[in-house]
Amino acid sequence: MVKFYLDGKEVTANKGETILQAARRNGSYIPTMCYLSKVKPIESCRICVVEVEGTEGFVLSCSTPVVEGIKVHTNSQKLFQHRSDIMKMYNVNHPLECGVCDKSGECDLQNKTLEFGVDSQEFSAKDMHRPVEDWGFIKYDPALCIMCEKCVSTCNEIVGEGSLQVKLGGYGSQIEFTGDDCGNCGECMAVCPVGALVSENFKYETNAWELQKVPAVCAHCSSGCELFYETKHAGAFTANEEKIYRVSNDFEYKSLCGVGRFGYDVTQRGGKDEKEFDAALSMLRKADAIRFNSRISNEEAKILQTLKERFGYKLLNGEAYAMQRFLKAFGSTSGERYYNGTLEDVKNSDFIAVIGTKVADDNPMVKFHMNMASKNRKARISYLHPIEDASIQNLVTQNIRYEVGTEEGVVALLVASLLKGNDLPSSVKDYFEELDIGNLSAESNVGEEELERLERALVRKNAKTLIVGSDLYTHGRAENMAKLLGLVQKYGDFKIVMIPSGTNTLGVANICELDASAEGTVVGYNAPGDYVIGMDGQLSTPPLPQQEGTLTTIDKRVVPTNAAIPFEGYTLNDLANALGLDAAHTIDYTVQLPKKAGYKAVEFDRLLEEYRPYSPEQNGYLLQNGAESVAMDLEEIAELPEYNGTVVYNCDPAGQMGALSAKSKNLCADDALLGSQQFAVAAKIKDGDTVRFEINGEKFVKVFKIDTSLKGVVAMNPLFSKGLSGDMLCSDYRFHKVNINVESGHNE
Amino acid sequence: MSLEQFKDRNVGTQEYRHIQASTSPKTPMEKFTQVVKRTFSKELFVGLKVVFTQMAKGPKTWHTVKYPQEKLPIGPRYRAIHKLLKLLESGNERCIGCGLCEKICIADCIRMDTRYDENQRKEVTEYSINLGRCIFCGYCAEVCPELAIVHGPRFENASEQRAHFVIKDDMLTPVDALKHQKEFPGFGALSDDADKKVKKTPLAY
Ligand code: SF4
Ligand code: SF4
Ligand code: SF4
Ligand code: SF4
Ligand code: SF4
Repeated sequence: MVKFYLDGKEVTANKGETILQAARRNGSYIPTMCYLSKVKPIESCRICVVEVEGTEGFVLSCSTPVVEGIKVHTNSQKLFQHRSDIMKMYNVNHPLECGVCDKSGECDLQNKTLEFGVDSQEFSAKDMHRPVEDWGFIKYDPALCIMCEKCVSTCNEIVGEGSLQVKLGGYGSQIEFTGDDCGNCGECMAVCPVGALVSENFKYETNAWELQKVPAVCAHCSSGCELFYETKHAGAFTANEEKIYRVSNDFEYKSLCGVGRFGYDVTQRGGKDEKEFDAALSMLRKADAIRFNSRISNEEAKILQTLKERFGYKLLNGEAYAMQRFLKAFGSTSGERYYNGTLEDVKNSDFIAVIGTKVADDNPMVKFHMNMASKNRKARISYLHPIEDASIQNLVTQNIRYEVGTEEGVVALLVASLLKGNDLPSSVKDYFEELDIGNLSAESNVGEEELERLERALVRKNAKTLIVGSDLYTHGRAENMAKLLGLVQKYGDFKIVMIPSGTNTLGVANICELDASAEGTVVGYNAPGDYVIGMDGQLSTPPLPQQEGTLTTIDKRVVPTNAAIPFEGYTLNDLANALGLDAAHTIDYTVQLPKKAGYKAVEFDRLLEEYRPYSPEQNGYLLQNGAESVAMDLEEIAELPEYNGTVVYNCDPAGQMGALSAKSKNLCADDALLGSQQFAVAAKIKDGDTVRFEINGEKFVKVFKIDTSLKGVVAMNPLFSKGLSGDMLCSDYRFHKVNINVESGHNE
Repeated sequence: MSLEQFKDRNVGTQEYRHIQASTSPKTPMEKFTQVVKRTFSKELFVGLKVVFTQMAKGPKTWHTVKYPQEKLPIGPRYRAIHKLLKLLESGNERCIGCGLCEKICIADCIRMDTRYDENQRKEVTEYSINLGRCIFCGYCAEVCPELAIVHGPRFENASEQRAHFVIKDDMLTPVDALKHQKEFPGFGALSDDADKKVKKTPLAY
């Protein structure tokens, strides 16, 4: 704690805090144009200057740390004049187009021009032609850009792409888009304080003040990012029809990936189709099982569980079932129900190991946090996966490429390395001593020297994180791997983060008692079945963005989400009520979420009261981590399987997240099978061929494209275009040996 | 000003003049007499005299406005049904779609759709005012930075429906009528000395 004087008042600052941060925390206002809380100070606007007694000239408050006893003045006539002059500079030749500008009403330039009373101009410069540029989803208007550089810092420090850079040239300076790596996340657009960056699908659609902000949680992946759906009537002549115009977020502290930011056009209109409702009911009455995916709320999972308890349905959700078993096995050695890490831990790490996930595609927010760790903490990052991911090569300090299928061996080797030097009970010590390291290393192709390098990287690191992905949960030997990883949590000084494979996989795994398989009639809820309710089904029900309820995120946090726009049709709750349950609303189940899994008996509406937008705090609550009984029954490592020939890896590209995002027209991701040159040779195909292959009876016909950034004989196979049946494939191990047949040649 | 006198609810102490209503007829005979008396009283013939005198003088001297064929001119500050004006020089629409009128409208009866057009400009594709709700306050005309939406003199506003609205085509000056479009002198227009109030920005060239 440091004491200092702020405008004559004695206040305290935390150690290392800048004057600006301390002033804001103490409720003093210092204007800024380029300051963004989530990145390092940019220092381009110089409007945040303050006076410090005894120091000559002005001091930049955003980057000057507080020193004991200084006397800071945040406002004076001189400061006002200085700031007002800066605003005049910003306004030199700034187009007078607030009338049409999309930023109007929430524009920092507009606000501060007014604040500093700039009503006339003394400065001038020769204007120049600055044409609008097209950056993919986003349009850049250099004439409106004030060169605050927030976009550049965000792209680099948060997203980790570095697709933007400053092109210096005095008055002609502008932001340059370097292109290829841009993942269309829209983060630059979100932080832009003026109308220079606007997305193509929002440009000139409506004015900011007409939109109503509905606080919600992204429906596309397990990060559960907070966002606002901004809605308005769908058009001048539509009665009672709402539409989502854009997604915004609390960009000062939080981020979104492109799927969350642009994949909002997945809503549906529904009516009450009574005949179909009766049909669905009679199917449910005679059904033996309900199959569903993980894009449902905790409350819906609770409804399904209650239906199971009452009527004996079997519940099928392969992906959550895998996670459930994995967590259970993990608990049997770690002694705790859940993994102990969060995204925040990833961000604050100085060592990160990632295994079993193509992390940038599976969960963009984990990648963003890895990037922040890399940029701010200079974290060493070891990436263990059969496919080297070119898109994160700028973060990764060590790539360890293992053979497909050998995960169990790799996990054993990794855990042995991570726990080296830790105090282990003799049984565990013996287990690792008996490991045939030479053999495992040879079979999995993970060299001992690679592990030694990893161990060296661990030295003197004190915030270490291990990130685990769904390749492991669905592996045949998942349980033993989970037990091994449990040891890391129990005996190591690691934080572990497991990436749930679907939006609410963790919630479903916690709430439902899932079954491995079922016979007889299966009703699908957002999933294939003899009768399908929900997405693509006979009876339509609201998709997640049109529902209220809670989700369980990767942080083991229970977060409330709201219905962006109304859905007039039936919901799962209506069906459950017709079957004999009794709840007026789906959210009546919020209090009933299982306490033994760590949920609290809080009513949904109380959770909403806790919702604090525009602050760094998260909403909702954290699940209580419970104790599990420890049973150290580690198994021998089974013989490592071999995957020869052509192998495909089921993985949606960064711009897609399964069946729901596939419905979005805003998102456009390539559905092609992507492979290396080597893969093309092995499969005897060439770039542009239409190929045919089959995975678990699911037939794929796709264009094959060569991706020069890929190596080896594993090709990437996106599933999103397969819709619901594609989701189902997420229950299986993600690598598959396939026979690839050419449908028709190139240019035929 | 004091509000005292308005707050005084004590009716009894105020000076009210009581009007003696005449007693109404009771029996059928009394009612009949009253009707006959009123029908043939002198006033009838006074009226008839005026009518016949005017008829004899002929149409030249008549003051009657033959509504709806004829209408009286209306002052520029009259606020009746809106018009959307065009630029006289180019014939382009004046409305830029800034949405200020939609925002300020106190009856919340303006709606508009805009889009990004092929020339990278904001195009107003639809604009409507629900006249069933409009209170003809003139805020929209006053706030409009482009003098695009103005109140016209058309005051006939009868409809079979409450939700009676005008759309853009109803209000927008048609191309062939552009030469008849008058610069708007009425509500929300610039003041005569507007030019003098403009501050000049120095230019580097
Ligand atoms: S960026 Fe801001 S100041 Fe510039 S035209 Fe747009 S709203 Fe107006
Ligand atoms: S594009 Fe926006 S965020 Fe980037 S420098 Fe220009 S004004 Fe700042
Ligand atoms: S898809 Fe995942 S990472 Fe992207 S915004 Fe949604 S929750 Fe966040
Ligand atoms: S006159 Fe008043 S009520 Fe009518 S449209 Fe204009 S602002 Fe709205
Ligand atoms: S205020 Fe004028 S320019 Fe703006 S939208 Fe309304 S009519 Fe158009």
